[in-house]
Amino acid sequence: MIQINGITKTFGDIRSLDKISVTVGDGSIFGLIGSNGSGKSTLLRILCGIFAPDEGTVTFDGQPVWENPALKGEIIYLSDEQYFLPASTLYEMRGLYAAFYPRFDESLYCRLCDLFGLDDRRRLSTFSKGMKKQAAVILALASCPKYLLCDETFDGLDPVMRQLFKRLLVDAVAERGMTAVVASHNLSEIEDICDHIALLHRSELVFARELDDLRGEIHTVQAVFDGEFDPTTLRYPIVRCARRGSMVTMVVRGEHDAIEASVRAAGAQFCELIPLTLEEIFISEMEERGYDYTSLI
Amino acid sequence: MTGIQVDPRDRRPIYEQLIANIRDLVLRGTLGPDEQMPSVRALAAELAINPNTIQKAYAELERQGVIYSSPGRGSFVCPDPTAMRRAEQAKRLAALWEDLREAHRFGFSRAEVEEILDEIWRDEHDPN
Repeated sequence: MIQINGITKTFGDIRSLDKISVTVGDGSIFGLIGSNGSGKSTLLRILCGIFAPDEGTVTFDGQPVWENPALKGEIIYLSDEQYFLPASTLYEMRGLYAAFYPRFDESLYCRLCDLFGLDDRRRLSTFSKGMKKQAAVILALASCPKYLLCDETFDGLDPVMRQLFKRLLVDAVAERGMTAVVASHNLSEIEDICDHIALLHRSELVFARELDDLRGEIHTVQAVFDGEFDPTTLRYPIVRCARRGSMVTMVVRGEHDAIEASVRAAGAQFCELIPLTLEEIFISEMEERGYDYTSLI
Repeated sequence: MTGIQVDPRDRRPIYEQLIANIRDLVLRGTLGPDEQMPSVRALAAELAINPNTIQKAYAELERQGVIYSSPGRGSFVCPDPTAMRRAEQAKRLAALWEDLREAHRFGFSRAEVEEILDEIWRDEHDPN
């Protein structure tokens, strides 16, 4: 279990994280989403012990991560920018990882090289951007970490490799009970695999929720009204509302059945509710905080 | 392959899709009585979805009596889906009544409805 308690981090006069508290359960795939510059990468770097927070604590199963090499042997940070030793091959990097990660699995490493189809005797500097990312994924998964922290790992991988990475990730979670924190802007990608989602905006935590609960409480409603419809009669908060002829389309907060009953009670001839995708939830949450492109163009 | 599917374009949460899909496979008999369900791990890897989501769907299906689990052996389809099928039929029948009443109210003739019945039953006897 990862416990993040009241983390604050500033760089000069920039406050990057402001009193963040989140708990990540064992065996969870935890999605970290947020606007650009919201502090996702800073949070991941604090989690893996690269940065020390100004205030607050981070513990893994009760152990602090800061200057704790034994615990760091259980944690892999898949950074957005890979670091490889100068002029090294993947095979040589394998030696470095095996020295630091006590559970490094040689046979898994070989199997992963085959799966991704990488030649591990070739210099990494000759690899394309996507192949370097694959190399980093191979090293990370072969290290069999208890905790895997991913920063935009889907970025730069082609669709087939993304699917392969997702399968390997869920397999490590199902087989070994690995815990993963996945920061990404690719919301449709992480929607399939995450069970919890935390949203950061302007250095603050907007929410940390179970994904199914989150999706169950905000809906797009399409309804047809013969007469007038007064949105204020609806007992649920309306995020957005547009009317075209007799058709009203709105985004409403609340549970499916309760909203449907309320819309019908308001005189709807027809009413249909569709759950929002994670991307739509993200945009709605951002809009409510005044962060939307319509105010920019 | 298990026949269990999720559709990324479907708006419903994955765990709801899983429950509906597995119920359907059991009702149709594609998953037979006492047949072993795929393990959480196998299904997670096959569908590339979160094992916790599958665990949650299995727990709900177990609560609904669609599957049962045997400690150390895994999950299995319920031995007798008759009661489940009967409940589903009753639900469909009620919906059918409702729709036919609506059709009647909107001025459909008996002949028009019979034409639909003929077509459906003909398809059943001669799928071509």
